[in-house]
Amino acid sequence: MDINFQPLLDSWVFLLRAIGTTVLLSVLSMLVGFVVGVFVGALRTYGGRLVGALLAFYVDTMRAIPLLVVLVWMFFAFPILFGVRIDSMTAAVVALGLHLGAYVAEAIRAGLTSVRRGQMYAALALGMSRTQAIRTIILPQALIRMLPPLGSLFTIAIKDSAIASVIAVPELLRQSQTLAGQTFRPFEIYTSAMFVYFLLCYPVARGTDALYRRLSHLGSS
Amino acid sequence: MTHTPILAARDVRKRYGAVVALDGVSLDVERGEVVCLIGPSGSGKSTLLRCLNALETVDSGTVAFEGRDIRAKADDARLVRRRMGMVFQNFELFPHLSVLRNLTIGPTTVLRLDMAEAEQRARALLLRVGLIDKAMVHPSALSGGQQQRVAIARALAMEPALMLFDEPTSALDPETIGEVLAVMKGLADDGMTMVVVTHEMDFARRVADRVVVFDHGRIIEVGPPAQIFEAPHAARTRDFLSHLGWHGESIDIGIKEKT
Ligand SMILES: Nc1ncnc2c1ncn2[C@@H]1O[C@H](COP(=O)(O)OP(=O)(O)OP(=O)(O)O)[C@@H](O)[C@H]1O
Ligand SMILES: [Mg+2]
Repeated sequence: MDINFQPLLDSWVFLLRAIGTTVLLSVLSMLVGFVVGVFVGALRTYGGRLVGALLAFYVDTMRAIPLLVVLVWMFFAFPILFGVRIDSMTAAVVALGLHLGAYVAEAIRAGLTSVRRGQMYAALALGMSRTQAIRTIILPQALIRMLPPLGSLFTIAIKDSAIASVIAVPELLRQSQTLAGQTFRPFEIYTSAMFVYFLLCYPVARGTDALYRRLSHLGSS
Repeated sequence: MTHTPILAARDVRKRYGAVVALDGVSLDVERGEVVCLIGPSGSGKSTLLRCLNALETVDSGTVAFEGRDIRAKADDARLVRRRMGMVFQNFELFPHLSVLRNLTIGPTTVLRLDMAEAEQRARALLLRVGLIDKAMVHPSALSGGQQQRVAIARALAMEPALMLFDEPTSALDPETIGEVLAVMKGLADDGMTMVVVTHEMDFARRVADRVVVFDHGRIIEVGPPAQIFEAPHAARTRDFLSHLGWHGESIDIGIKEKT
C-alpha cells in the first residue's frame, strides 16, 4: 500500500486551524449547553408548573429531533423565518448548544432531586433564600454527583461538532474532506482526523472521571 | 402587661393529605427556657418544629416569634429563620464545604458579614464545641457526634435567639451521644432558649424547664420534668414512658427520618 503523509504536513497550518475551529466549536457549544442545561434543569425542578411544562417541551423536542436536522434547520430555515442571516459557526454553536442543553438539563434535574430534602431545609433554616440555597448548597452537590454523565455528554459534544461540516463550518472533518479531495489521500487524512478526535475526547473522559473520583465524597450528603 | 413569650404557637393545624400531623397545637416558649418535646414516632414533633420556623406552612393557626407573625410565604419567614437555629437528626452538614465554611456560609451569605469576621466567629465556636482542629476537613471525615457538634456550631454562627433541635442524638452511636448532649447542656446553662425534640429522657429530666408530651398531633400534657416523669397525669404519658423504659435505647436507634 502506498502511504504518504506529505500532503498532510504540507497543509499543517490549514489543518491546525481546522482543529482550532473544532475545539472552539466544541467549547462554545459546551458552554451554551451547560448554562442552558443548568437553568432548564433547575427551573424544571424548582419552578412552577407552567414553566416546567414549557421546558419539558423544549427538552423533549430536542431529544426527539436528530441533531443533524436541528442544525440544518437552524442554518437554512431560521433565517427565513426570522429574516436574519446567521453565519454557519453561530448556527452550529446554537444548534449544538441547545441540543446538548436538553441532555445536560436532564442530568442536572436528576442530580438536584437526588440531594435529600434535609439539605434544603438546613440551608433555609440558616435564613438563605431558595435561590441562594440552590446555588450554594444543592447545585454544587448535584454537579459533583453528575460528573460522570456530564463527562460523557461533553465528549459527545466534541464528536458531534463534526456534524457542523454539513453547513460548511471549517472544522476538522470539513477541512479533511476538502484536503482529501485535493490530494487524493483520504486514508492518511481521515486516519489523522480520527486520531485527533480521539486525542480531544480522551482527556475529557479521563479528566472528568479523575475529577469525580477526587470529589465524589464531597457530593454525598 | 408587656410580657410576650419569645415564641408563641396558637392552635396550629397541619395536614398532609389525609394525615393530620398537627391537630391544634398551642405552645408558648419563654426567653431562656428549655422545652423538651417527647412523644411517639409520627406524633407530629418534627412537623411542629418546621412550622415554628416557617419551613412548613401551617393550614390554620398562628406562630409568632418575638411578637411577629410568621408566614412561610412572606419575606418575614427569612428574617425569622436567621434568628432561629435548627439542628437536624441527620446533621445536614453541607458535604461539599469544609467544616469552617459550613460555619461561615450562613453569616457571609445571609448576614453579609465579611469573611474575616465570619471566620473569627466560626473558630470561636469550633473551639467551644471542641473541634477547632477539624476546621479545614470536610464533614465526611468526622464521626456522627462530631458532625452534630459542627451542626450546632453552624446554627450558633448566626447568633440565634432560639435553637430548635429535632432528635439531635437519634442517629448517633451510643458512645457519641454524650458529647452532643454535653454541648447542648452547656448551651442551656448559658441561657439559650431551646426547643428540643428528644428521646433522651435523662437529658429532658435534667435540663428541661418544661416537658411537652405529644401524641397524634396534640399536646396531651405539659409540666416540669419532675411531674411528667414521676407523676404524669395522662394515661398515655404513662404508657409512652413505660414503653421507653422497657426498650430504652433500641427505640432511639430504630427511628428513621421520614423523607
Ligand atoms: N412532608 C410530609 N409529607 C407527608 N406526610 C408527612 C410529611 N411530614 C410528616 N408527615 C406525616 O405527618 C405525621 C407526623 O410526622 P412527624 O415527622 O412530624 O412526626 P414525629 O413526631 O417527628 O415522628 P418521629 O419521632 O418519627 O420523628 C406522620 O404521620 C408523617 O408521616
Ligand atoms: Mg421527627
